[in-house]
Amino acid sequence: MSYIIAGVDIGNSTTEVCVGEIGSDGRLSFLTSASCSTTGTKGTLPNVHGVKTALKKAMSRINKDIDEISLLRLNEAAPVIGDTAMETLTETIITDSSMIGHNPSTPAGVGQAVGKILWIEHIDRAEPGVPYIVAASSEHSYEEIASLVNAKADDLDIAGIILQADEAVLVENRLHKKMPIIDEVARIDKLPDGVLAAIEVAFAGQTIRMLSNPYGIATLLHLNAEETRAITPIAKSLIGKRSAVVLKTPGGNVRENVLPAGEIYVQAEHPFTINLDEGADRIMKEISDAGTISDILGQENTNVGNMFSRIRQGMSEVDSSASADIRITDILAVDTLAPVLISGALAGETCLEKAVGIAAMVKTQKLPMQEIAQRLQKELGVQVEVAGVEAVMASLGAITTPGTELPLAILDMGGGSTDAAIVSADGQVKMTHQAGAGELVSMLIETELGLGDRHMAEQIKKYPLAKVESLFHMRMENGQMTFVDDSIDPRFYGRVVLLTESGLIRIEQDIPMEKIVQVRREAKRKVFVTNAFRALRKVAPDHDLRKVSNVVLVGGSAQDFEIPEMLMEAFTEYRIVCGRGNIRGIEGPRNAVATGLVLSYLGEKR
Amino acid sequence: MIIKKPSIFIYTFCPDKDILREICAGMEEEGVFYEIIEQTVGNVDELAWQAANDSMLGSGIGVSGKKAALQMRGIKKGNNIVCYETPDKSQCRSLGANSARAIKKQPFKL
Repeated sequence: MSYIIAGVDIGNSTTEVCVGEIGSDGRLSFLTSASCSTTGTKGTLPNVHGVKTALKKAMSRINKDIDEISLLRLNEAAPVIGDTAMETLTETIITDSSMIGHNPSTPAGVGQAVGKILWIEHIDRAEPGVPYIVAASSEHSYEEIASLVNAKADDLDIAGIILQADEAVLVENRLHKKMPIIDEVARIDKLPDGVLAAIEVAFAGQTIRMLSNPYGIATLLHLNAEETRAITPIAKSLIGKRSAVVLKTPGGNVRENVLPAGEIYVQAEHPFTINLDEGADRIMKEISDAGTISDILGQENTNVGNMFSRIRQGMSEVDSSASADIRITDILAVDTLAPVLISGALAGETCLEKAVGIAAMVKTQKLPMQEIAQRLQKELGVQVEVAGVEAVMASLGAITTPGTELPLAILDMGGGSTDAAIVSADGQVKMTHQAGAGELVSMLIETELGLGDRHMAEQIKKYPLAKVESLFHMRMENGQMTFVDDSIDPRFYGRVVLLTESGLIRIEQDIPMEKIVQVRREAKRKVFVTNAFRALRKVAPDHDLRKVSNVVLVGGSAQDFEIPEMLMEAFTEYRIVCGRGNIRGIEGPRNAVATGLVLSYLGEKR
Repeated sequence: MIIKKPSIFIYTFCPDKDILREICAGMEEEGVFYEIIEQTVGNVDELAWQAANDSMLGSGIGVSGKKAALQMRGIKKGNNIVCYETPDKSQCRSLGANSARAIKKQPFKL
């Protein structure tokens, strides 16, 4: 009688199963495999649902029912869970609204102008000889504005115009005298009447020069040295804009706050304290010098302190029994810039603020895998056992990749953590778990591009980009052109899109393709290349990478379209053979642990 | 020799004055030239399609009464990029702006 066994691997983000059959001759043959998203946090009872879905999917592929399985083997999931958090270190606050800087698609006129704000309704009350900047809400049509300004052109000194509607060119075409005009200022109602303002529209193809320069603003608005220092954040946030308005508000106040980021206390063989301000590079250097880390804490009532306590709290929900024994044993810190909405701004302006993204690795006593096993056994009526350490199983599975031999190193790049293991020629396994993997990459992409949408960030991480240049062709991010027979949906016209299996996905934000590519690649490099070296150094003989000969990449992030190539390049100087695994010659880098669980059954039986 | 400026063609049949004016304003704001040519057919699909094919820039608009449609060269007749029965002011503006953006290879206003 044949004996069907299933290996089940519950990961941070994906649950994978592999089903094999042991024939009457005692030989193992693989039947099927499947995967689905993990339900709930890894190692908790809600996982049962995901396991059942994956099993059903796998068994239906070979037209069998779950109850035909004789034995289910669960991974002894490493009691480590990854989590991520992001904190900004600086913050720009503008009180009394004193600037507008934005990129209307069609401003008109060029140059800069200084004058008092004059509402078009009050144009009759204006005094001759005083330079004015006229402001008009969208209630006034372009014809009305142009004729009013034209009528007063000889008596009054009108230097520039600010419009609420998108009508700058329309107004300019009807004016006798040329002047800079800025349009699409949504919150024009916040402009104070009678206040001195400077406006600037850049020359075609250029960005503004005067208002993005503190001394330029000082020149136009006659500021002293102290005031110039105070407006520096304004100048900084106007860099790269095509048009801008800066107001001189007497009581106005702009300041750049440095938030108390807080200190990190690392309890280790060589304990140390470091301030988050020192930057990711310093933090990571100290961490690598610290030896074995027993716990990492943050200064109370600071950003980093709150960040760590949030992570801890989340984890204590997983394992409520031993909440006191949840320890953060590794962190990966990454420097980043996040576009943050300026508090007090008029047109939703953002400013790039310094931020640090942190992935933390949380170690609990032991995940309640036994409970999951019992629940599964009860619900499925199949014998369930918890078998094998995750990293060992992953190595076993990885060896099924054609062209591999012992000794072998695996790099398991998942959603929550990057794990490395080395199997020596005599079967000894050495392993490590590092904080930071796919989820941190998504978070970096989300914040650096200011998407505010994690799902979109994940799509950007997964798929290559293209720009739809006409209704019949698009340019891929590598420069290649693709033509289509049927016209592309006009909704995608002129936009940057993601090329997915199920068609195009439009990126709503107006971000150039090159910028997205750069942020995406940089995020992947910051996380995965850093972590690959960190992890392999820990497990390599004598911590020397040159003593590692083969590295097989497995796990969800090894499926990525560019991460394996990045790692291959990074490893070439160490003469390491490195590549994406191909489990059982068919699965690609997926299913290593599940396959290992099925394989290890044979070993145990002997 | 007749030299024509590269421009968007607007083929019209008894067009509504306000609608036509707002569409033109949309194009003017984007800084692209246009020509309005009165036709003898009333089918808005036909007008837009013919305008797009006759325009050197490959972008055309049809306005018949209160109906307005935007077309681009290479697209089948009737498969208008957008088509409105009785557009309001902002729809007219964006129709005009999009006909210009089609030439400038910029994303459409929605």
